[in-house]
Amino acid sequence: MIERTGAGGSVSPSPGPAFPPRVTVTFAADRASYAAGDLLQARYRLEAVDPATITAIERSVVWYTEGKGEEDFGVVFFDRLLADQSGSAADASAPAAAADWLSGSFGTQLPLSPLSYEGLIVKIRWCVRVRLFFVSGRDFVSEHVFFVGDIPVARPLGLAVS
Amino acid sequence: MRLPTFFSKKRGQRRTGSAAWGSFGEGFFYAGLLAAGLFIGGLMLAGVAVPEWRINNHFVEVEGRLVGKGLARRTSTDLFGVRRQSWRPAVLLEYRAGDGSVRAWHAGGRGETTTDRSLALGQLDRWRLGQPVRCWYDPDQIETVVLKRGYNWWLWLLTLLLPGALVAFGAAGLVRAARAWGRSEERQAAEAERFFRPLVQAATADVDYPTVPPCDDLVNSPGTIQRFRLPTESPEAWSLVGSGLFALLWNAVVVVLAVAAGLDLAGGRTDWWLFGLLAPFALIGLVAVGQFLRRLLLATAVGPSHLEISDHPLRPGQTYDVHLSQGGSVGFRRLELVFELEEQATYCQGTDVRTEKQVVWRESIRRWDRVEPVPGTPFEADLQFSVPPRAMHSFRSAHNGVGWRLVLRGVPERWPAFLRVFPLVIVPADAAVAVGGSTLPRREVVS
Repeated sequence: MIERTGAGGSVSPSPGPAFPPRVTVTFAADRASYAAGDLLQARYRLEAVDPATITAIERSVVWYTEGKGEEDFGVVFFDRLLADQSGSAADASAPAAAADWLSGSFGTQLPLSPLSYEGLIVKIRWCVRVRLFFVSGRDFVSEHVFFVGDIPVARPLGLAVS
Repeated sequence: MRLPTFFSKKRGQRRTGSAAWGSFGEGFFYAGLLAAGLFIGGLMLAGVAVPEWRINNHFVEVEGRLVGKGLARRTSTDLFGVRRQSWRPAVLLEYRAGDGSVRAWHAGGRGETTTDRSLALGQLDRWRLGQPVRCWYDPDQIETVVLKRGYNWWLWLLTLLLPGALVAFGAAGLVRAARAWGRSEERQAAEAERFFRPLVQAATADVDYPTVPPCDDLVNSPGTIQRFRLPTESPEAWSLVGSGLFALLWNAVVVVLAVAAGLDLAGGRTDWWLFGLLAPFALIGLVAVGQFLRRLLLATAVGPSHLEISDHPLRPGQTYDVHLSQGGSVGFRRLELVFELEEQATYCQGTDVRTEKQVVWRESIRRWDRVEPVPGTPFEADLQFSVPPRAMHSFRSAHNGVGWRLVLRGVPERWPAFLRVFPLVIVPADAAVAVGGSTLPRREVVS
């Protein structure tokens, strides 16, 4: 598992819960590198959070650009679990239901492009995002980077890229 | 209840701020535009469109008689306190409305208003007392009468255009802000992608490679030796067009100044300021023409460069044949064909939008020294080059790009160096090859 934002992920728009929740994402077969077109499967687990305070969970697989330019962004998988749809939050007193709400898995077939790329002024990254929405109206997002393809890191001209 | 923080801060990996306040501010701005559009539109409709529409549809036509004429005077004071007077011709009409006879003044339109009283009096001369006139009066206010009907198309255009643009811009922004309210960027992107997917699929030939630019424009020209002739992007061509336009516009200004100076001279006046301005302007104009002619001469002397390729789009790990043809009558101290990968990033700096490009990989395919021209025959060469097996594919998004290209660099004898760029599209490698024979499901690659 690779976390872009460190242990707690990032908080947006402002620190929501009193203690930032921990989101653990585990990729199937413990791999964080995929080929284009592969099937990505991941499990997530939420810790240090009261399930009753969560109104929705969004799971997504996205690519985004980093570097000198403005950020571009694409979504290849997205779904949103609402508290009353899953049945868990609606029945939060039931321990089994609460356990379901705090973990889950999803999978999607990755597209053939773009591939992960570590350029000099343009970088392309892939990640799994788990975003929690709280009763208070705030949200918390955790981002877990993985790699698609096997493109070597670009070096300043004069050094080998091969 | 805690209000969301108004200001945004980025502290290390953590970002604090308020998307809610941001959306609210954006919505407020667009709502303001929408309100302004509706307000101005209402004013324009009430003040211009509706009266004109009523004249054409509700006013009653009647045969009247001109019984008096005069000038309507308007006095106004400008910003500096100077009083100005303007006149427009006015006629007194007598006509039948309802059961009785009505007398009412009608003043000409704004187009007939003049600050020259004698001119306004002259306009009155076309009216003869006692002459019958056709007029239209307002049945709701019988003393309002007009002598002309019809529509001013430019007034309607103005009425619709300005408030319409504000309403459209404001409403679209408001809808966008409302849609973004409480939605994550992933959700917005997913919804937008679902909405635009059919359009993108219709517009893109190869839907299997998202973010890889289409190469339709690169394969629509067949080659004579190889399969495709690649289009050229020549920075020199743009310089030629730019310098030509500059020379044309600059010298147009010089001609205007020269005509003004000539008219002054013919009238016996000498405006030394104008002459002082004309001299450096003419000098710059001459230099601009000289630069343009020099570039034109360079472009024609060096001649066209053609590059043909055996296949397109390209794939990592594959080898391709290219045929190079360089025309022209000059010899070259050096010619070199290189294969490059260039990154491109567009970003905002203040109010400017800047694009930065950086070549991150370069390989020389072939270099020739001392190329002598053979009259009537272009320089030709058949070459091969390989795409690295782990090469990045071509990529293009709204603000970022990674592009491959073949570049011909030339240093002609006695002329400045030139550059001809031939863009290429590289699609991702076959997935199974890239991961060493993965058996996981994958989509078929469309070539």
